[in-house]
Amino acid sequence: MMSVLTIVLMALTTYSTRVAGYLLLNNAVISPRTAKVMEAAPGCVLIAVLAPSFASGKVADLAALAVTALAASRCSLLMTVVIGVASGGLFRLFLPM
Amino acid sequence: MPSERPAPDVRCRKAEYWRGLRVSLPIMVGFVPFALVLGAQARMHQFSLLDVPLMTGLNFGGGSEFAAVGLWTSPPHMLLIVGVTFLVNSRHILMGATLAPYLRRIPSKIMLPSLFFMCDETWALSLTDARKTGFSLPYYMGISSGLYGSWIVFTFFGALLGPILGDVTRYGFDMAFPAVFFVLLRGMWKGVGSMLPWLASLSVAVAAYLVLPKGWYVPLGALAGITVSWMQART
Repeated sequence: MMSVLTIVLMALTTYSTRVAGYLLLNNAVISPRTAKVMEAAPGCVLIAVLAPSFASGKVADLAALAVTALAASRCSLLMTVVIGVASGGLFRLFLPM
Repeated sequence: MPSERPAPDVRCRKAEYWRGLRVSLPIMVGFVPFALVLGAQARMHQFSLLDVPLMTGLNFGGGSEFAAVGLWTSPPHMLLIVGVTFLVNSRHILMGATLAPYLRRIPSKIMLPSLFFMCDETWALSLTDARKTGFSLPYYMGISSGLYGSWIVFTFFGALLGPILGDVTRYGFDMAFPAVFFVLLRGMWKGVGSMLPWLASLSVAVAAYLVLPKGWYVPLGALAGITVSWMQART
């Protein structure tokens, strides 16, 4: 079946991305500059994954994101999730743009 | 860069596993609405009921699964879907590379299967933890089992209940996702110097998301941020 085959190939592709970096660097010697970049890279990856949330262009979404980011800077994970969901719901209710 | 601490083998494995599982609980709150929506959308794009948990269980990468569902036809364009999957997940290569220096003490025959479970959240939490106290495999597996289990179960529920659920992201539950990511980012904040690469990454990713086909925004955004930090690191 085409769909099962596609899913299996998808899964193999994904798995190969998961092990590739590990296999490449497992025993490599890393220069100080590379180490610095590798320290900065994780945040860059995470924030790029978030792009669609910022790209909606709606005032309510951007306001909720700002509140959530502020919450994240001082609250626990669970509290931030609660504040994020609540602010998302409220801003969309009252800022229908 | 890797920590010299010998502790993980000594630390109680069970306690470490539970610590990971506990940390994964609030993240699951963020997973559930997306899992339901993914399952429901997959059914609308002619996935069979069992193909949904088959995909989410074998692939376990939310972004690539949303992209695949969006591109799915019957029969599917295999090369297109595999290509987009690679693009969306190419960030894993970088993620694995940043984690690698902390994994040298663990035999690769254990680490290779464990890496199957590496997703954004597991990786970010384990890396932050590893930078503080050394990599803890049971902690990593604790987070993984919580997230993996809930992802498969709830994508299946989404596929099962899809037609009667409507759009659960409408109310604000989708904000759980950036909320989790913001907390993960806090753990990676290295002072004001972090700001420039992050802004570069975000703006390029948003631009790419708006103008380019699906899949390109993550690698291009990350690349922009890394380029900026590469220039910053020149001393």
